[in-house]
Amino acid sequence: MGNAVAKNAEFVKRQAIATARIQEKFSEGRQFLTDALGEPILWAKSLMDAFDLIQLLRADDVLKFDFLSDITAYDNVDGKDGAKRFVMVYQILSTTTHVRLRLKLAVDLGEEPTSWTSLWPGANWLEREVFDMYGIKFKGHPNLRRILMDERFVGHPLRKEYPLKQRQPFPDNVPLHLGPHPLPTKNT
Amino acid sequence: MGKDDINQWDPSLDGKNLTDFYNPNVLINIGPAHPAMHGTLRVMCRINGETIEDAACEIGYLHRAMEKLGENKTYHQWIVYTDRMNYCSALNNNIAYCMTVENLMSISVTERCMWLRMMLMELSRIIDHIICVAINALDMGAMTVFWLMYHWREEAYTMIESLCGMRLITTATRVGGMVHDIPDDFIPRMKKFVKEFPSCLREVHGLLTGNRIWIDRTKGVGKLSKEDALKYSITGPCLRASGIDLDLRRDRPYYAYNEVKFDVAIGTYGDVFDRYLVRMEEMKQSVRIIEQCIERLPGGPIWVDDPRVRIPDKIDVYTKMEVLIHHFKIFMEGIDVPPGEVYSAVEGPNGELGFYIVSRGGPKAWRMRVKAPSFMLFQSFEHSVVGDKIPDAISALGSVNIIAGELDR
Repeated sequence: MGNAVAKNAEFVKRQAIATARIQEKFSEGRQFLTDALGEPILWAKSLMDAFDLIQLLRADDVLKFDFLSDITAYDNVDGKDGAKRFVMVYQILSTTTHVRLRLKLAVDLGEEPTSWTSLWPGANWLEREVFDMYGIKFKGHPNLRRILMDERFVGHPLRKEYPLKQRQPFPDNVPLHLGPHPLPTKNT
Repeated sequence: MGKDDINQWDPSLDGKNLTDFYNPNVLINIGPAHPAMHGTLRVMCRINGETIEDAACEIGYLHRAMEKLGENKTYHQWIVYTDRMNYCSALNNNIAYCMTVENLMSISVTERCMWLRMMLMELSRIIDHIICVAINALDMGAMTVFWLMYHWREEAYTMIESLCGMRLITTATRVGGMVHDIPDDFIPRMKKFVKEFPSCLREVHGLLTGNRIWIDRTKGVGKLSKEDALKYSITGPCLRASGIDLDLRRDRPYYAYNEVKFDVAIGTYGDVFDRYLVRMEEMKQSVRIIEQCIERLPGGPIWVDDPRVRIPDKIDVYTKMEVLIHHFKIFMEGIDVPPGEVYSAVEGPNGELGFYIVSRGGPKAWRMRVKAPSFMLFQSFEHSVVGDKIPDAISALGSVNIIAGELDR
């Protein structure tokens, strides 16, 4: 643990209380870990469980998780984190206790986790990025299309099988048009 | 009206509508190559007269696959990429990234390195806020502010140049230390800077804060309420301008931020004027922190004494064989980071700048995630401009300080 750790006594106390609370109330049947900085990580059991869990965590009046820091994913093609292909990573924070929690969820190819846009509208772009980079689709997302890559791009660049130097240059932009936006869902 | 309404129009009516002078649904495209769209941002607005009824942002014009590169370069090689994210405050990115890798390896940097890093982070915060306030004023036609403030940005860059030889893209840190210790004249120069820079802030306050035109252009513009700020997960000065008291330097103090005294500026309305005031106050507080860092900067080594990461001194590399081999191993193979994962974030000038690294062991990261504040800010932008006028969109965009480099990564 480096010296970049939050070390004022008050925060350490708050973090201990929150960690104990998570362990006591939410870790039953779920895997509970801490990372290199001692911050809590909670693995959701299933796709359904992840969405239920976050609603419980949000409603908990000790933890008060009210802020979504980040949504991302990583490729688990080497199987170190279970049999499923991807791991979704949700970083949540409380603006009152300042404790972080990392919620993890294993997602297989073709599985669709529930979108968090109904809880935090800010999840919209984050989930679009996950879709763009890994091809994970989200159930109930209002506008799931590519965000960083061009809509004509084929493949999902952050998957491990996508070669680093496989470029797809597009000499011209997509012409402006009204009407439904073409959803590039045929790319898997 | 939702954004989807654009998509549900009948395209056959389009030609007819354009001839209609009072068409309430005109689309206007701003950017990506528009001088007021800092960098490569693109906003599509549906306007009714001058009022924006709906806005949608498109990003990705500066996408350089940073995260993919992070999985394919060694930890050291990737430091240069962090410069190219928020290029207005590259030092902050360097330090935040190296701090994350150090956390993953359980390395504590030396006291001197820690205080120096804090000082540099505050200096780059000042630079970033100068850019934001000055360019925001410039976009609205107040050019004097730009000249006044950029003089100090120039001075700050000259100091950074004396530190590491580069101005904008610094690459000043290494995992476990800094590329160089500070030169002899750095501290006297910094003392002069913190002594004289507040006069510039007073001048800018005199020019803008009570200025009728500035108030009219900024008050009530680009408003983001407290609830919306939380919903859209924005961070940094914009979150504080909306009235939420969250500053990672105070609330989750990394390095020695729990030992320095500073105040956190909070706004009320979350409009452009509040963001401007919050940024002005933060510059003042940064000066305060730098003063304390100068006072408390200890002597001693800048490098942590850990053979896993310590880059040997050049003189030893050229004269001792073992050291040469060690040097070679660090640069050809890379440093060996143990398996594990960590998310660590600093309070960057624009908000929470976090790095999430998943390591499976070895010299390369398995997953390198950058949580950039601009990404969430730009998302909230398309909601905060609704109801404003076109020129207000320009001032609102300037006030949130989107940096395309970290937006698209």
